[in-house]
Amino acid sequence: MSEVDMAVIKPEMMKSYIWLQTVDGSIQQVEQEVAMFCPMICHEIIQKGMGSSKNYAISLPPRVNPSMLSLILDYCRFHQVPGHSNKERKSFDEKFIRMDTKRLCELTSAADSLQLKPLVDLTSRALARIIEGKTPEEIREIFHLPDDLTEEEKLEPLKNSTDDPRIRLLNRLYARKRKELKQREKLKNVETEEDRADERSVEDLLSYINGGHRDSKGDKTSKGKKKNRRRKDQQKNASVEEFIETHEKDSDGLNFECHGAEVDKLQPNPGGTSKLPGAEDDTFPHKVEFDDGDIDDEIDPALKEKIDREVEDFARRLNSDWPERMQEILSLGQERRPVNGNGSSRKYARPDSEWK
Amino acid sequence: MGDSSNQDLISDLPQSIIESILTRLPLRDAVRTSLLSSKWRYRWATLTHLVFDEDCVTLSNDRALFEDKLINFITRALFLHQGPIHKFQLCTSYLQSCPEIDQWILFLSRKDIKELVIELGESEWIRAPSCLFKCKKLIRLELFRCELDPPPTFKGFLCLKNLNLYQVFVASDAIESLISSCPLLESLSLSYSDSLTLNIYAPNLKYLCLEGEFKDICLQNTPLLIVMSVAMYMTEDIAEHMQQSSSCNFIKLLGSVPYLERLIGRIYFTKYLSIGDDRGRYPVTYSHLKIIELYQVSFEDMKEILVVLHLITNSPNLVELQISGSSNTLTAMEATDLDFWDKECPSPCLFDRLKVVKMTEMSGVPHEMEFIKFLLESSPVLEVMSIMPCPSVMDGRLNMLIELVRFRRASARAEIVFIQC
Repeated sequence: MSEVDMAVIKPEMMKSYIWLQTVDGSIQQVEQEVAMFCPMICHEIIQKGMGSSKNYAISLPPRVNPSMLSLILDYCRFHQVPGHSNKERKSFDEKFIRMDTKRLCELTSAADSLQLKPLVDLTSRALARIIEGKTPEEIREIFHLPDDLTEEEKLEPLKNSTDDPRIRLLNRLYARKRKELKQREKLKNVETEEDRADERSVEDLLSYINGGHRDSKGDKTSKGKKKNRRRKDQQKNASVEEFIETHEKDSDGLNFECHGAEVDKLQPNPGGTSKLPGAEDDTFPHKVEFDDGDIDDEIDPALKEKIDREVEDFARRLNSDWPERMQEILSLGQERRPVNGNGSSRKYARPDSEWK
Repeated sequence: MGDSSNQDLISDLPQSIIESILTRLPLRDAVRTSLLSSKWRYRWATLTHLVFDEDCVTLSNDRALFEDKLINFITRALFLHQGPIHKFQLCTSYLQSCPEIDQWILFLSRKDIKELVIELGESEWIRAPSCLFKCKKLIRLELFRCELDPPPTFKGFLCLKNLNLYQVFVASDAIESLISSCPLLESLSLSYSDSLTLNIYAPNLKYLCLEGEFKDICLQNTPLLIVMSVAMYMTEDIAEHMQQSSSCNFIKLLGSVPYLERLIGRIYFTKYLSIGDDRGRYPVTYSHLKIIELYQVSFEDMKEILVVLHLITNSPNLVELQISGSSNTLTAMEATDLDFWDKECPSPCLFDRLKVVKMTEMSGVPHEMEFIKFLLESSPVLEVMSIMPCPSVMDGRLNMLIELVRFRRASARAEIVFIQC
């Protein structure tokens, strides 16, 4: 401990030391004037009288690990000396923040927990410089961010999305799919409502069983139930699988055109930003009976996942073969082609027909 | 710390830091962070500082399309925004006045806006909507090229500290009452709002910058003023008005600013000050005034010279003086009242703190030289006197130098620097 030696040799230069303890338990001694540069430590010393001895070491916040602490102390040691010129400070700062991104983030976090604002500003600026001008993929790569957004969500917000036909189509497809699933969900919910301990429907059941007075809701439910059971078996998962199936088959071009064509025929383009969740076309609500309520809440998350995956797949395909597809669409026009299997295309084209 | 190397490095930093990072990004990049991951989707939407300019959208050759894109961008950004907006800045020459501005300002007025800066293209002026005056929490307002017409029910911006109006069309009484109804106003800048007659009542005003064709300026109540910069342009109207004016402009402008530290006067400033009845002594000593910069001082006009002398002799702590001349060489050479300097010039006069003097645009006319001589004699701690002749004066330079060399200097350390240009 050379500082201690020095203190012995030159008593007039004796500095006072502060004891700091990091979250991993290790304790170290730091010159007081250096440590006091951090407001949090300063506060601990002055207001709580801590830090004067090993037993009363100041516990630093968990985000400050020993290596970060030493970096921060280096920073403090330089800056707390009043003699440096602004230029010197700037060049020190420039050199100081040259480190890999991981450490930079840890440093920002540690500096923030010690309330060392100048260092937080410095590191924030450095992080902003890293982010600026990069594509989302690059940024995700640098910061190890999970790529957990749907394709739809990844479309750049605030862009004039009516310009890009891809987005329009994607929007429409997504909206249709969600509508499908929402309807299915409603059917499912109606059933599960009866299974759950929902007082009203149990009463209804009882009254129905007892042949008593039924309110209109009960009526609907039971009728719906019959219909739904049939439908559920046939439709629900089947069509979802079909959708995936038809994608995976290499008649991509065909499917795409089909749906695109159908979509074009039936739904006027509302345009608008893809960012609004649950954006729906105007035509449908009038044809189908809906309960009110938030669309998003009613879709089962697992199902939602599925939709997202499908749309993602779809979008990926879109993104890769867009020019060719465009050609195909334009040349083939609105021609409708039958798709293998259960005429799934027809299902998507006119879901309302299935209700009647 | 020390978990898998693929751990998310940044998303869990505290919101204040994320905001600090996002604020340092150009707005377009900040908005793009919503594409990064689910945690980042709406992070940008709570930013309180929104700075828009033409970089927000991709450039395009089609002007109208570009404008549309930009308008769309701004509208949508505002629409998606959550929480308060403290700063809104829109500075771009690519956008002209558009009807959407009214809606944006209305939106902002509901979002606790504190700083509002709007500077658009030059061909059309905005008409400030009345909802602007409902932004109760405004602290800073900067408007360029707009028409301002406060409604009669407007009681003032009670938090406003900083007002900057550039090329703003506003009536004199409207601007006067606007200024006086902002009790916390500290900094005022009015540029090119023409033909105003101003009575400034601003008890907290510290920084004042006026530039344009002013008929009349009176600092009625600005006791805390620290820095004053005035550039007065002249028109025939104003010249006439000045001729007919009987009040003393010097007092009106500089009569009650005891804490003034820096004074900058341009164009017809000294002329303006010289007008008026200057009988009687001036009561004010500018004991804090350290820097005086006066441009376009005409040394042909004795009155203007008196104004300058008066200023500097009443500023005992003056450290730096900069004077830029604008004399007409031909007429000024025949100066007749040169005896003023020997007889009436205030003396003995010592500028105890004056260290730096810069004389620019010097034509070498007699009064200029006498003035320089006077300064050299009266500045015991002078360090540098730099003299830059007027570029058009070529022949007179040698004479100037010859005279300069003769002058006595009160300060042994004084350097006289003659700058050739």
